[in-house]
This record gives sequence, structure tokens and C-alpha cells, in this order.
Amino acid sequence: MKIAGAEATKARRARSSEAVILFSIANQTFAIAADAVQEIRSTDSLGGAAIEIEQADVPKVRHLVERAKRTYYVVSGCAHFGLKVTRPTLVLILRQIRAAVLVDAIERMADITKLHALPRGFEGDERKWYRGLAYLEDRVIPVIHPAGFLTAEEFARLDQAAAESGAAAQLEGAAR
Amino acid sequence: MGATGMSGAANAGDKQSYVLLQVGNSRFALRSDLVEELAPPVKLHRFPNTTALVAGVIVRRGKIIPVYDVSRVLCGRELSVHRFYLVARRKFEKETEASAIPVNGECELATSGLVPGRDGDPAYFAGTLHVGEEEIKVLNLETLVSEARA
Repeated sequence: MKIAGAEATKARRARSSEAVILFSIANQTFAIAADAVQEIRSTDSLGGAAIEIEQADVPKVRHLVERAKRTYYVVSGCAHFGLKVTRPTLVLILRQIRAAVLVDAIERMADITKLHALPRGFEGDERKWYRGLAYLEDRVIPVIHPAGFLTAEEFARLDQAAAESGAAAQLEGAAR
Repeated sequence: MGATGMSGAANAGDKQSYVLLQVGNSRFALRSDLVEELAPPVKLHRFPNTTALVAGVIVRRGKIIPVYDVSRVLCGRELSVHRFYLVARRKFEKETEASAIPVNGECELATSGLVPGRDGDPAYFAGTLHVGEEEIKVLNLETLVSEARA
């Protein structure tokens, strides 16, 4: 019975906690659910695979990468959150949406046991950016809502721009 | 403590209890039934947001409380030094939410009648109190915060 009790407690704890990745952009720490991230790559290793897209509708996106036959749009974390421009070293390739995010550094993994709702006093874009707030070791850390990086409308514009620049590249190749 | 709006809360002559608070060099008042506590200068946690006046959050008794830097509206600048947070409640439809304002000095209670505001006063002043020789503007927290966003 003691063992079963201990297992139940362990299972309860496992259910109520969530593994997150703590990362930083411009000295600001954020958390994102570990299972929302498919891959973490260095910008150096991804550099060759990144394709520049020319478009002005979504200024926070300047590149796309192809991974496993999917197109991921690379979002500048600084531009998305309105932070000062830094030199990102890593790319978080997300799982649920076709977006990858440029970040400065990964701090560590952590488990959060409680996700605090974003207070209602916050009424701006942050309601789309964050799922809530985590209180970890005397720090309040915003927990990212992955779908908040790009809206459906932004995806549509980027898809269109990517298709146009792809067609232009094909024409250029044919002309050569 | 009920959490009602400031408007129509008191007529001139009806005495009511107010908390007097100092922001910058000026004193203001807030209806005392909206006030939860005067908190010490705990750590202000900042993170990116686009909401006007929200400077960050503080943590009190396990709750995360947004901090409104109203000094930008009341004094025209951000205060570099403050000593306490006055925690009051804002109303959101049927719910209320604790909200903090950085204040410079200790707060005190005063009971006085509210004199309606003059034409031309900003809408975030609900009226004036006469405390001794002093005229103190009564804040309407809801309007103060929402006007800054307009």
C-alpha cells in the first residue's frame, strides 16, 4: 500500500507539473513548454539552410528554413517582443506551428507546477504572446503561447511571399 | 469591502473614508473600500508587454499583481524611487483584480466629504477632499488607467 501511495503521489506530481525550456532574448527570460519545441539548432548550423524572403508585411520574419519537407518561418524574438536587437545564437524550431524563433541563449530546463493566469490588467499584444506566468525561484517568467508568434493572416502573407520569391528564383535559374 | 466604481459613490457632504497616498510631490486620495493593503517595496518583475502604464508585476501572498505606474499620468514622469505599493482593486466586469500603484510615502486614512470635480478637471479625478488646509484630488483608478490607454 505504501508503494502504491508513493506511486500515486509521483503520478499526481508528474501530471501537475510541466517541463519548460527557459530561454533568453535581450536579457529577458521566457519559458516555453518543452513539448512545443521540436528542435534547437545553432544559427551557425542553420545558416546555410536559411533562405531569405523579400517581404515587408511581416517585418519580424526575414528568412525561412525547410525542415522535413515543411517550411518554417524564422521569427526574430527581439522584433516580436519589441526588445532591443541582439545577436541570436539559437533557433527554436516549434512543433505545432510552422515557425522557428531566434533566441539568444537557452538557460535551462525547469518544471513548473502552476501556471498563473496573466492578470486582466494586461490588455495588449501580450495576451496573445503568453499562456500565463510562472513563478520560479523568485522570478516571474512569462510562458510563451507558441501560436502567438505568427497569426493565420501573417502565415498567409508569408506563404504568398515565399511562393513569389520561389517562382522568381526558378525564373532566374531558367534564364541562366 | 465592496468593489464598486468611484462614480456616484458619495455626494458632497456625505463623509467617506479615503486613503491618502503620495505620488511624486503630490498627495492624492483613493476610496478606502477599494484598498487592500500597503505593501513593502518588493521586487518588481518586468517582462515585455504593450499595455500602457503597466510596469510589471509584484508577488504578494502567492498572487501575481500588475503594477500601474500612474506617476507618468499624475506627475508627467516615471518615479525613480518609491517606498511602497498601494494595492487596490480594479473591476473587470463581474470580477475584481488586485492592482498595485507605486507610492512614495506612507499612506494615511482620512474621512471627508467629496466635493465634485470642476469643469476641466481630468476625468480620472472623481472630486476633491478638503483635509485640513489641503485640497486633495480623489483618484478614479479605472478611468486613470483606461484614459492613459486612449
